[in-house]
Amino acid sequence: MSRDPALMRTFRVAKVTTHAPGLVSLYVEQTYPITPGQFVNLWIPGVDERPFSVSDVKDGLVEISVKALGPFSRRLVEVRRHDWLGVRGPFGTGFTAAEHGLLVGGGIGVAPLRFLDRVLAAQGLSRRLLFGVKSAAELIFPAAYAGTAELWSDDGSLGERGLVTQGLERALAAAAPRVIYAAGPEPMLLAVLRLARAHQIPAQLSFERAMKCGFGICGQCCMDGAGLRVCVEGPVLTDLQLHQVTDLGLPRRGPSGRRLGA
Amino acid sequence: MPHPTLVTDLCGVRLENPLVLASGILGVTASSLLRVANSGAGAVTTKSFSVDERPGHKGPTILSFGAGLINAVGLSNPGVDAAVAEIRAYKAISRTPIVASIFGRTVDEFGAVAERAAAAHPDLIEVNVSCPNVAAELGTPFEADPATLAAVTRKVKAAARSVPVSVKLSTNFGFLARAAQAAADAGADLLTAINTVGPGIVIDTNVRRPVLANVTGGVSGRAILPIAVRAVFEISRAVRIPIIGTGGVASAEDALQMLMAGATAVGIGSAVYDHGVEVFAAVGRGLTAYLEREGLDRLDSIRGAAHVA
Repeated sequence: MSRDPALMRTFRVAKVTTHAPGLVSLYVEQTYPITPGQFVNLWIPGVDERPFSVSDVKDGLVEISVKALGPFSRRLVEVRRHDWLGVRGPFGTGFTAAEHGLLVGGGIGVAPLRFLDRVLAAQGLSRRLLFGVKSAAELIFPAAYAGTAELWSDDGSLGERGLVTQGLERALAAAAPRVIYAAGPEPMLLAVLRLARAHQIPAQLSFERAMKCGFGICGQCCMDGAGLRVCVEGPVLTDLQLHQVTDLGLPRRGPSGRRLGA
Repeated sequence: MPHPTLVTDLCGVRLENPLVLASGILGVTASSLLRVANSGAGAVTTKSFSVDERPGHKGPTILSFGAGLINAVGLSNPGVDAAVAEIRAYKAISRTPIVASIFGRTVDEFGAVAERAAAAHPDLIEVNVSCPNVAAELGTPFEADPATLAAVTRKVKAAARSVPVSVKLSTNFGFLARAAQAAADAGADLLTAINTVGPGIVIDTNVRRPVLANVTGGVSGRAILPIAVRAVFEISRAVRIPIIGTGGVASAEDALQMLMAGATAVGIGSAVYDHGVEVFAAVGRGLTAYLEREGLDRLDSIRGAAHVA
């Protein structure tokens, strides 16, 4: 049968790596090709289902890095090797690989950029990495990035003290990249977008919205403006597409569709 | 030979074409509805809303089973105030007609939400009396009992004032013609048929449990097209009011079946998964091509054509 990513498929978790307390990578069997920036829906049977970006694909395994932030992700970081996990997808539109990229990640936003970094490396494309975290313990894959990424932390426990966007400003002053890739909290993305526009550099930014289906029909994740679906046209949107979005930086819509705080 | 037109009159509402975005699909926000309208839909329908805000069921809420979709979203909606704000926002930027889909927990709630929806001047109000996914909480759908169905219809009609009212039926309780008759006698201006079928269950055989968090869900998409066509066929023999024929339509061929069964307009929903929002324009082009090929100038020529003696 043809590709049907909305079918539920369950797999035994092949491997679990703990990076720090409440910060793990889960590995499951790969069924479809995946590009960096795409996401999968993870189902803990009997609990709930939520979208997560893919942090790498290697040796037939999909890696998903999870930080315990809410009720569901706190359950997900408790999942053990051989436990059953439902996986649907991949969904959405990911990053487009290009030469001379500047990768800007904040917090768990480093996860999809790790996958992008590996794909760019495999294609022999040069790139520069700027990652920001609250503190040293939050960085996933610290060993992989020692010496290759420029690191920033809020408390100064890793790399330079400050915001990763300060690093971006400095990098842009020194040499213009061909493209800026970013994933992280929305305020960070908006700061990146402003800088990219100011320097007239194309940007590809990965956004989050509350989702129900993940495959473009429920309408829950549509952005105001042109109605772009974060689960189909996104989660990675270009600076050009973002001209058609009018709800950037506003409080999120909750599961009912009502904008929180509104 | 004149260029054929798909323009459709639905209870006095002019649709550029008979294709209506079905409720529950891309219907949460004004921007999303506008996008579907701009993609070639003749009208768009909001996701069903109620007086009070509802978060809906836990996930998974929607999945494919290989021949269609099954869902139990649980009537999540932002509540009537936020929903009506989206309708107003939509109407400020689009001329494509909008259908407000409403539901309530009681007959009086149907009236209350209809009154507030009508104040935003949607082109039509659709009454969701047939959602199969909230039985545990709200009990048997209102359509199951003709007297209750008639009471809801009368209540909404009175509250809707001049806005035409459609009652959305399913095939889940039998007596379809009787339900259609009850709604029509109670004043429904048109009917929408059908809601999702079932409910059904999908079981994951590895974990040996139902996949939907709600256990059961309504079945839509490809698998239900013949059931929906039969329902429209049956209803159009029972009542004289227009029908929005909905259920499994993904192509012009499918839409033609609905029209020939007696539908005035044709709902499209789950097909957005397989074909994207481009499905509306594609089906519209297919309908025009059919009329050209047959030498016809309008769809009226084929509406109900399958009702052979």
